[in-house]
Amino acid sequence: MTFDDEFLIEQVASAYRPVPRDELRYHPRWHDLDGAGRERAFARARALRELEAALDPDGLSTTARAVLARITGVR
Amino acid sequence: MDLDVYLAAILGGDTRAFGGWMSGAEPRVRDSLRSFAQVIDVEAVLQETLLRTWQVAPRLVADGRPNGLLRMAIRIGRNLAISEVRRTKATPTDGDDLEAALAAGDRPISAPDPMLRKAIAECRDKLPAKPRQALDARLASAGAQDDDDLATALRMKVNTFLQNFTRARQLIADCLHKRGIAIDQELGA
Repeated sequence: MTFDDEFLIEQVASAYRPVPRDELRYHPRWHDLDGAGRERAFARARALRELEAALDPDGLSTTARAVLARITGVR
Repeated sequence: MDLDVYLAAILGGDTRAFGGWMSGAEPRVRDSLRSFAQVIDVEAVLQETLLRTWQVAPRLVADGRPNGLLRMAIRIGRNLAISEVRRTKATPTDGDDLEAALAAGDRPISAPDPMLRKAIAECRDKLPAKPRQALDARLASAGAQDDDDLATALRMKVNTFLQNFTRARQLIADCLHKRGIAIDQELGA
C-alpha cells in the first residue's frame, strides 16, 4: 500500500458523498482504489463511524448525520 | 435491544427517533453490505438505504419478531447493492448471502457503552491542536463537505489535513489501547 493509497483510503472512508441526483454518486476517489484498497476503506469507515458515534452527543455517526441532513432538507 | 421501540415515533415523522434507530441499526446494515465492498461504494449505498428506510417505514408489516425495520433496511440495502452492481456493470460478488445478512437483524443489539464513550472523549481531548482540528472538522461537517473543502477552511493543504486526521485516529487508538480497551485494529492502522 503506497503513501498515496493510504490517503485515498482515508478520504473514501469519510462520510462525504455528493448528493445523488438521478443515480447514486460515489466518492470521487473511490474509483482510484483497487479491490484491496476498497476493502480497507470499508473497514476504516466502519471503525471511524464507531468512534464518531461515541463522540456525538446523540450517539450518531457522520453517516447518520448525513442521512438526517437529507431527510430534513439541509442537503 | 429491539430497535422497533423507535418505530411508532418514526411513523409519526420524528427524525430524532430515526436517529436513535440509526445509531443501533447502521453498523448492522453496513456489515450486511460487506461482500459488495470491492465492487460498489458501500458508504453511498448505505446512506441511500437509510434514507429509503425512513421513506418506506410506514409500509412495514410487523411479523411479531424484533427489529423488523432493521431487517427491512437490510433487504433494501441488498437490493440497492445488486442494482448498483448491474448499473455499474461490476463483477458480481461471491458469498453474498441474504439469509446470513438478515440473521444479523436477529442478533441482540447492545446499547452504547457509556464508559467507552467517556474513554474515547478523554482520549480525543488529549489530541494535539492540529490533529484535533482535522478530527473536529470531519465531525462538524458530518459528510457535507469533502476533505479538500475542509482543508481549505483550516488553511491546510489536503495532504496535511489528511496527515493530521490520520494522526488523530491513531493517537486515539493508542490512547485506548494503553487503557486496555480493545478497539478495531483499523482505527490505529
